[in-house]
Amino acid sequence: MLENVEVAAVCDLSAARAQATAERFHIANWYSSYKDLLDNVRPDLVHITTPPISHFPIANACLSSGLNVLCEKPITVTYQDFCLLRELANEKHCVLMENQNYRFHSSVQRICHLLSAGELGDIIDVQISLSLDIYAPGSPYIDQNVPHYAAALRGGIVGDFLTHMAYLAIKFTGSVQGVRTAWAKHSQTSPLATDEFRALVKGERSTAYLAFSGNAQPNGFWIRVSGTRAHVEANLFEPPRLTMRRLRPGEPAVTKLIDGIAESRDTLKGTIAGFWRKLGGISSYDGLSELLARTYRALETHSSPPISQEEIDETARLVDQLSAAEHTL
Amino acid sequence: MKVLVSGAGGFLGQQVVERLVKGGHQVRAIIRPASPAPAWAAHVEIFRADLRVPDNLISAFANIDAVIHAAAATTGDENLRFASTVAATENFLSAMAQTPVKRLIHVSSFVVYDWSQAKLVLDESTTLQNDMYDMGGYTIAKIWQERVVTKFASSHSWDLTIMRPGFIWGRQHEEIAGMGRRFGRTYVMFGPRTRLPLCYVANCADCIATALEKPASIGQTFNAIDGDAVRVWRYVREHVTRTGQRAWLIPLPYFVGLGMAHLAAFTSRILFGKKGRLPSLLVPRRYESQFKPLRFSNRKLTELLEWNPPLSFEECLSDTYMKH
Repeated sequence: MLENVEVAAVCDLSAARAQATAERFHIANWYSSYKDLLDNVRPDLVHITTPPISHFPIANACLSSGLNVLCEKPITVTYQDFCLLRELANEKHCVLMENQNYRFHSSVQRICHLLSAGELGDIIDVQISLSLDIYAPGSPYIDQNVPHYAAALRGGIVGDFLTHMAYLAIKFTGSVQGVRTAWAKHSQTSPLATDEFRALVKGERSTAYLAFSGNAQPNGFWIRVSGTRAHVEANLFEPPRLTMRRLRPGEPAVTKLIDGIAESRDTLKGTIAGFWRKLGGISSYDGLSELLARTYRALETHSSPPISQEEIDETARLVDQLSAAEHTL
Repeated sequence: MKVLVSGAGGFLGQQVVERLVKGGHQVRAIIRPASPAPAWAAHVEIFRADLRVPDNLISAFANIDAVIHAAAATTGDENLRFASTVAATENFLSAMAQTPVKRLIHVSSFVVYDWSQAKLVLDESTTLQNDMYDMGGYTIAKIWQERVVTKFASSHSWDLTIMRPGFIWGRQHEEIAGMGRRFGRTYVMFGPRTRLPLCYVANCADCIATALEKPASIGQTFNAIDGDAVRVWRYVREHVTRTGQRAWLIPLPYFVGLGMAHLAAFTSRILFGKKGRLPSLLVPRRYESQFKPLRFSNRKLTELLEWNPPLSFEECLSDTYMKH
């Protein structure tokens, strides 16, 4: 809970869910229509956490009323819709932000810190790999009774995760200069069009390899940054575990032993800290709380938001490029 | 009577349909679009719908005299359970409100009771959970579902009966929460002499159908249990023996487990404040709501509806473990 923030109201199409949320978190007002909410409440920021297909009309209504918006990813279903919202936000002098919470994930922040301290050297490549058991029993992704909201996205279920992979890639590669993708279907009995995705991104500073697998197990969201001096690797689902292998001078057999001991130590330390965090009720979405803290601080001090429109624009364009090839399978 | 049954494809719903057919009722059964239809009599009318989608639900109520609402999600995360149980009920009852149907039997659950407040006997007068958000997703959903049902029934003057079954069991649903926990080949029982509020699935279906058939049930709430004669130790032993397992049965006194839960909760509060998270067994209220040694009464059911379980515990065991 952020100290300087009061939740003014919550809204859900289900009145019971809105009421339950208000009761649970001691929120004074709840609505089952966002139009009613906007008629009655003037919050400093509206969080849009609905399915992607509804982002555009709700964000459009909020911005038209002069309200700042922080929207779940992907901010819009198409890049064109984002451009329209951006234009409206600028016209109304409103903040328009996409929830790119992994930018502020503690492990990503630590990698950035290592990079700026020169410990990784120059970045050569970044690998971002997400494995998710989308075929687990009861999985909403393959619910044949009510299709998952991501089915409306280009790239289907995979499309729901492209935003996270895209902004993390750009953060390390710089501006995108070229993209190659490969989409595949591993599970032949799957109702989904695709469940595997790979991409190579060429950026101004380095390359990035992106992978989504609906079949590889166990679940994980891995980021591995390779530099001229060291590799660093973290599973973003299991913070704060992070391991690093440095370039060391000396006898190879000895340096390998030192590296192995150092990695074991980092793994053990990170795993225990991760377990401790779980007991302490700290979510693995730890980037979200940092993003929200920075966002509200920016609103309070009238300073720049933590994610710029240019960064959201670059992300939306890369997502557009990554998902463009999906239909060519 | 022509009866609409929601959740008809589920463990209890299937049995409810069978019992209604046996009782001479006409049945329209709501089955999810992608679910296989159970092997019912040919004259059971199947209505394909997922209650999470509000479209076209009104037509399900055409020419219906009474509704049995048994739909609820028993799997999935908290969010999914709320959507499939509570939001689905809102959609279903919003559709019902646009029709002339007035009779509703709602299948609730024992989880709506605040077990920690019960003294000696848990019956229909036991306090309901009010602060339920540290409980599991199923509990939260069932409490909110009953709230939604009660609100709709009150504002539309429906003839409502609420049935609250205890631990529903039967073939392929032999393992119930009150048994304790299984760790590989070891069963740990938290209070082996504790009585179980068992409700065999066919008995439960009979009880619901009886409530439908007897006008005395209108406006009433009933605990739907066969009785409380069976204790944890016997239930677990029967299960292990009849499934041919070579298992260890470890009895642990109820208060030892509860003490451990309180100690864990205290430690968590000291270390992490209110944000601390513990496994459900170590949350005292959740522990109590599964294992608290109480008597469970179905007196209201037997007195007002003159209902007695048609199958004895022995017969239920035979039916359940026939396959083994």
